[in-house]
Amino acid sequence: MTLEGYPRDLTCKDGTTLTVRPVEARDKDALLAFYRELPEEDRLFLRDDVTSQLWADRFMASIDYETVIPLLAVTADQEIVANGTLYRTLHGWTRHVAEVRLAVARPYQRRGLGTAMLRELVRVATSHGVEKIVASVVDNQVGAIRAFEKRGFHREAVLKGHVKDIRGHKRDLVIMANDVSHIWEAMAAMVADYSPTLGG
Amino acid sequence: MPKTEIRVGGLGGQGVILCGHIIGKAAAIYDNKHATLIQSFGPEARGSACSAQVSLADEPIGYPYVKRPDVLIVMSPDAYSQFAPTLKPGGILLYESELVSLDEKLPEGVTAYGIPATRLAEELGRRLVLNIVMVGFFVGTTALVSAEAAERAVVHSVPKGTEQLNQRAFRKGLEFGLNLTGQGNGGPRHDA
Ligand SMILES: CC(C)(COP(=O)(O)OP(=O)(O)OC[C@H]1O[C@@H](n2cnc3c(N)ncnc32)[C@H](O)[C@@H]1OP(=O)(O)O)[C@@H](O)C(=O)NCCC(=O)NCCS
Repeated sequence: MTLEGYPRDLTCKDGTTLTVRPVEARDKDALLAFYRELPEEDRLFLRDDVTSQLWADRFMASIDYETVIPLLAVTADQEIVANGTLYRTLHGWTRHVAEVRLAVARPYQRRGLGTAMLRELVRVATSHGVEKIVASVVDNQVGAIRAFEKRGFHREAVLKGHVKDIRGHKRDLVIMANDVSHIWEAMAAMVADYSPTLGG
Repeated sequence: MPKTEIRVGGLGGQGVILCGHIIGKAAAIYDNKHATLIQSFGPEARGSACSAQVSLADEPIGYPYVKRPDVLIVMSPDAYSQFAPTLKPGGILLYESELVSLDEKLPEGVTAYGIPATRLAEELGRRLVLNIVMVGFFVGTTALVSAEAAERAVVHSVPKGTEQLNQRAFRKGLEFGLNLTGQGNGGPRHDA
């Protein structure tokens, strides 16, 4: 299985060159190591316990590049420095929606990498025909909110006291959404083949 | 190449004109040929039928109208009924195989290739790209424009943000065409 358009190079604000590519089976241990390296405060609000072997096994088994599409940013030494994943369903009433989750290694944060990964993920989502992309962010995750806003997401809903961090404190969950359906409207207009002046 | 006449026919919403536009653009801009495009809507046939007439040649084209196409691409039964009888002997029919069924209207000596383009487009996530699947299929079966030129024309003709999906649609059609005509990887093989 392959993901069209990848691998591709990505240059950070400071000039570091990274490679963006889909996660492959051989990445399991490195991915687990990447998540185990994330400081607790960054892992605090992630949905799953990404440091457990069980999570890694399940995640790797779920990858099909159709409903679970994970991208990595890796250094020249193949060290994983970011992971962003799109989740979709192919059936049901939200089949036009994808959810995105993203994490960047601490030493690589605040260099534009999160924003750059999001750009890739949005591109992959639209190339799969997705109309709307959502992300769940906890209210005090300034970096995440900022990165999503820079990529066209807006705060769409707030669920009060919806999440408990691993210390047991309740926090609001912000649903951020990016409606990309306008690009499908442009496509639909192009194939409409309707010309009132010509009697269509 | 001698002047080659192509007719694309289908319904409004299938992207018939864009399909013709991309074929013409691929030939004219990226393959250094001459191309003309004429689009017709509505009254020419029933309902919201529409069609595009594309001519390709090495020399400038004096007469852009397509009366007897060398290649006919049809995406609807009406377009098939209307235009199939006009195909030149020895011509090629490319048709949406789940929407169009062939019958005695097809002139003798015509080669017909079918593709379930709507289903393939849906599998890619968007029915809208059916016409781009057809462009790929046209290139794969006829090789009248190069695959590189056509892919570039696709990418440069579609709305921003849809390039990759359209590229995948193009490749899907191309591959299907190459396989059907025995030029692809998955095509008929000779035993070693
Ligand atoms: C959210 C995250 C992916 C952002 O990655 P990043 O590579 O630091 O993002 P960027 O460098 O593109 O930064 C985006 C913006 O947010 C700002 N920002 C990032 N971290 C910040 C922080 N801790 N405090 C304040 N602003 C911050 C950046 O300055 C930048 O804004 P600017 O361009 O105006 O300067 C990263 O912080 C992370 O992995 N967090 C833990 C996991 C998580 O929270 N994921 C989100 C839930 S899905």
